[in-house]
Amino acid sequence: MEPILKVEGVSKYYTGHKALDDVSLEVPRGAVYGLLGPNGAGKTTLIRIITRITMPDAGRILLDGKAITADDIFHIGYMPEERGLYKKMRVGEQAIFFARLKGMTKQDAERRLRVWFERLNIADWWTRRVEDLSKGMAQKVQFISTVVHEPKLLIFDEPFSGFDPINANTLKEEILGLRDRGATIIFSTHNMASVEEICDHITLINRSRNILSGSVEEIRRAAGGNTFEVTHRADDKSFAATLGGHATIMGESRGVAGGYRATKIHIPKDEDVKQVIAALNDECGLRAMNEMMPSMNDIFIRAVNGTL
Amino acid sequence: MNKILLIIQREFLERTRKKSFIITTLIMPLIMVGLMIAPSLMAVYGTGDSKQVVIVDESGTVAPQLAQIATPEIKYIDQSQLSIEEARNIYNEDSGIFAILYLDKEAAQDGDVALYTNSSSTPIIEQTMAAHIKAIIEHNKAKEAIPGIDINEVLAKISTEVNIVTSNNDGSSYSSGINYALGLILGMLLYMIIVIYGQMVLTSVVEEKSSRVIDVMVTSCTPFQLMAGKILGIAAVALTQIAIWAVLIIAASKFLIPELFSAEVASSNDMMLTSLFDTLSNTGYIATLLVYLVLYILGGFLLYASIYAAAGSAVDSVQDGQQFNTIIMMPIILAIIVMMSIFQDPNTSVAMWFSMIPFTSPIVMIARIPFGIPVWQIIVSLLILYGTFILTTWIAAKIYRIGIFTHGKRATWRELWQWLRTK
Repeated sequence: MEPILKVEGVSKYYTGHKALDDVSLEVPRGAVYGLLGPNGAGKTTLIRIITRITMPDAGRILLDGKAITADDIFHIGYMPEERGLYKKMRVGEQAIFFARLKGMTKQDAERRLRVWFERLNIADWWTRRVEDLSKGMAQKVQFISTVVHEPKLLIFDEPFSGFDPINANTLKEEILGLRDRGATIIFSTHNMASVEEICDHITLINRSRNILSGSVEEIRRAAGGNTFEVTHRADDKSFAATLGGHATIMGESRGVAGGYRATKIHIPKDEDVKQVIAALNDECGLRAMNEMMPSMNDIFIRAVNGTL
Repeated sequence: MNKILLIIQREFLERTRKKSFIITTLIMPLIMVGLMIAPSLMAVYGTGDSKQVVIVDESGTVAPQLAQIATPEIKYIDQSQLSIEEARNIYNEDSGIFAILYLDKEAAQDGDVALYTNSSSTPIIEQTMAAHIKAIIEHNKAKEAIPGIDINEVLAKISTEVNIVTSNNDGSSYSSGINYALGLILGMLLYMIIVIYGQMVLTSVVEEKSSRVIDVMVTSCTPFQLMAGKILGIAAVALTQIAIWAVLIIAASKFLIPELFSAEVASSNDMMLTSLFDTLSNTGYIATLLVYLVLYILGGFLLYASIYAAAGSAVDSVQDGQQFNTIIMMPIILAIIVMMSIFQDPNTSVAMWFSMIPFTSPIVMIARIPFGIPVWQIIVSLLILYGTFILTTWIAAKIYRIGIFTHGKRATWRELWQWLRTK
């Protein structure tokens, strides 16, 4: 099936630096597509180019195989990272205003918005002013305003920032629900936990370049193996010294029962796993070593460090 | 529903529901009414000496009786033995005499009276004198007419309109109080609307930009729709406010002032209003004036609003906008200075040119109109104004559509020029 959205060789230069360097990707229809990357990698720039807020210096964006137009953008749903709501307006009126701008009738907009407000437990806020809402509350309003006209393509920039875990979870469920009803969703995040649970496909952007693209399953399978959780007695410093250059430590170590520590490591394919085990056994009081499927977080860190 | 209409509606409702809008809309008429009745109050309760008016009556039929009248405001002195030239020389500015009232031989028939004042006259004084003279002339005519038979004929025969034509005693051209007041009020109104509502456009664009609502908006409508909707929405607020003011001021002077003040003040104020409306209807253009007013308010506001919108799009904060604001204000201030000078003489070439230049014409021309300006001048001035408005809107839209997406430092003039030329 033809991808709903294609990014072809997009570059964007600002004075002094490249924000995007020849980025290409394809978003399959009906996917939940994650744009991952550290802060400042260029995710927001890419999203702003897709939504035609910024024009690329090179490359093009295709929607349904045709160059994307201003009119296409007027029909998609876009939630920017910095929440944009009119502060002095009342919540309900504002949501109706945005829905009508997207082409809904007033009655239709109000009816569907009331349902959404009930669903996200914010029905009481209908007549409150936006300036009286907390950041998380405003975000729910913004989310509803983005999706209420049921666009076929939805783009969220950092949708989970500003949400507590409970609300983040609600949001995840709603995003999956939208996908099940036929929408394609693109969202950017630097929060890897959200990726595994809801993304079908990802693109990892680092330093303005697309360094990894594909379906989450394939990426995990490809990156699998050679990641271990080591339970040992050494402190972090001597543990790192023992590994030398033969393995990479993934994230923080943690204390476990019996005075042991657990540390995740990745041993590159060209290193001898047995040698590493022997060294750990001699120097660090190795107790256990379990092979793990890499989490997206691990893949993220390894891809960024160039050790995938 | 059309997107521009939706945006207009949003801007309009957001602003007209604000407490500050409701308060200023209600308070302004109170201030205006206060300003209006202040002269009446002073006329009635003022402790100033009564004004001395010298009469030179060539017909000799009015002055003797007029000299008998003494009101708190006016004291008449009959000097009909002097010629008018002698009287004007003797009773100059230093004489302490307020004015010289000159009735030529026909005055007792046609009611045309000249008033040479040494200090500024007021409509109330003139109305009062006119009433006095009218009464005397009608009285005299009635006496002549009594032998007649037909009472209607008598009434028709004795009815005399007294028109006082005022000029300065020192020969300089005289601006009638009403024209002056009307011109000043209209000019200042235009100034206020352009500055207050123009800056509202700037602030609103900057706020939309800094709160990033702009990102949501431009993925729902074009930048031009957004800019046009905002400007027209704010224009609708301005016109609504003026309409409410007009209704409130007229209602207050008709109903509130008679309630609150003595009959004397009320009738004095009423007389001023009546004389105001008389002036308008006498020259036959109360409706025309309103049309001109709306045309100049719209043209002037739209011209400046598009410039303010472009300026707002080029900055990140209202403080940064001040720099552009200073530049935008320059022609407006110039217009105010020229407006003040036209009250000396509304027909100088300076006045004429500045009421053609579109950046000053709304303020200068509307202030000149009460003095009676050839219609072709007004039409040319309006054509230039609206032509320029289309041009500035076109330029502003080009700057705006790029400006709203730039964040960080304030745009330089060179950048603005580049934006303008970007396809």
